[in-house]
Amino acid sequence: MRAVILKAGATLLTVAATALSALYVTSHLKNPAAPLQPTVLSTSHGVAVSAPGGTLTLGPAVQPSAAQPVTSTYAS
Amino acid sequence: MPLRAPVEAHHFEALGTNCSLFAVGGSRGRLLQGEFWVRRLGAQLTRFSPDSELSRFNDAPGGWRDISPELESLLRESLRAFETSGGLVNVAVLHAMEAVGYTTPLARGWPVASELRACSVPPLPDVLAVRPGAARLEPRAAIDLGGIAKGWMADRLRDSLGPNAVANLGGDLSAVGWGPAGDGWPVGLGGATVLLRDQGAATSSVRRRRWSREHHHLIDPRTGLPANTGLEEVSVVATSGVEAEVVAKTALLVGPELAPAYCAAHALAWWLSP
Repeated sequence: MRAVILKAGATLLTVAATALSALYVTSHLKNPAAPLQPTVLSTSHGVAVSAPGGTLTLGPAVQPSAAQPVTSTYAS
Repeated sequence: MPLRAPVEAHHFEALGTNCSLFAVGGSRGRLLQGEFWVRRLGAQLTRFSPDSELSRFNDAPGGWRDISPELESLLRESLRAFETSGGLVNVAVLHAMEAVGYTTPLARGWPVASELRACSVPPLPDVLAVRPGAARLEPRAAIDLGGIAKGWMADRLRDSLGPNAVANLGGDLSAVGWGPAGDGWPVGLGGATVLLRDQGAATSSVRRRRWSREHHHLIDPRTGLPANTGLEEVSVVATSGVEAEVVAKTALLVGPELAPAYCAAHALAWWLSP
């Protein structure tokens, strides 16, 4: 009889802890003020410029110029 | 207004296309040496001459064959390009190119547009193995180094021209140094001018070397047929000439939906033309 009571008590305790945890987790999905939140690096997709026949996109490592080009890339 | 240093320029035809070399503070003799180097490598690596090193390598498959340091470096670069492009840049396309009729230099005349016949392209690592000083090609494969060779040559050539120079081999170009005005080399890309510093640029297109609506030189290794992805031309700036060549070709082959994201991850600037 004593063993049955102990088993029932342990089961009840486990079920109660599970239910309370689930209740807590679902009501605290996210804490935006939590410490150690990693910063998300912003990805640069460059500046897109529409031009006749297509789209030109310049990343931060390439600068446009008004100078006359000395040469060009082209299909050959 | 920055001072503009004089630029020595040299233009010539080689590799079946137009080539240009530029250098600030360089001698004309060094540019001429560059031309000779291009011609020597071109003769060594062309698929159109049966006596070239590449043709002899293609014609003797199945066993290990001694190769030059240049061919070894290019074959290793080709294997790397296959990996980084997810298999889209595959130099083992020669049989597929020949199947669509591209068997002779286009300067000798345009091929006849026959019925398209798909020719499967084997994965490069399955048919090519490279070890120091030697390489082996499986019997069912043949190689065309195409744009990879031009980008690779442009990268090496620019370093031999001096600390401030540009090599442009048929649109595959490589720039080193700060350019004539100290802010970079002004280079045309997609109708605009951009400044390159220690970078390369290349264009991949199906508008040139095209002899019918369906027939052109750029083979999609997934189908074994001329590519038809919805993009007709892609120009790219990347960290080197050969890198730009690989990224431009890959972007063209992945098509207009994926190309912007792919270029954002792998290119420094890019021009997409549908």
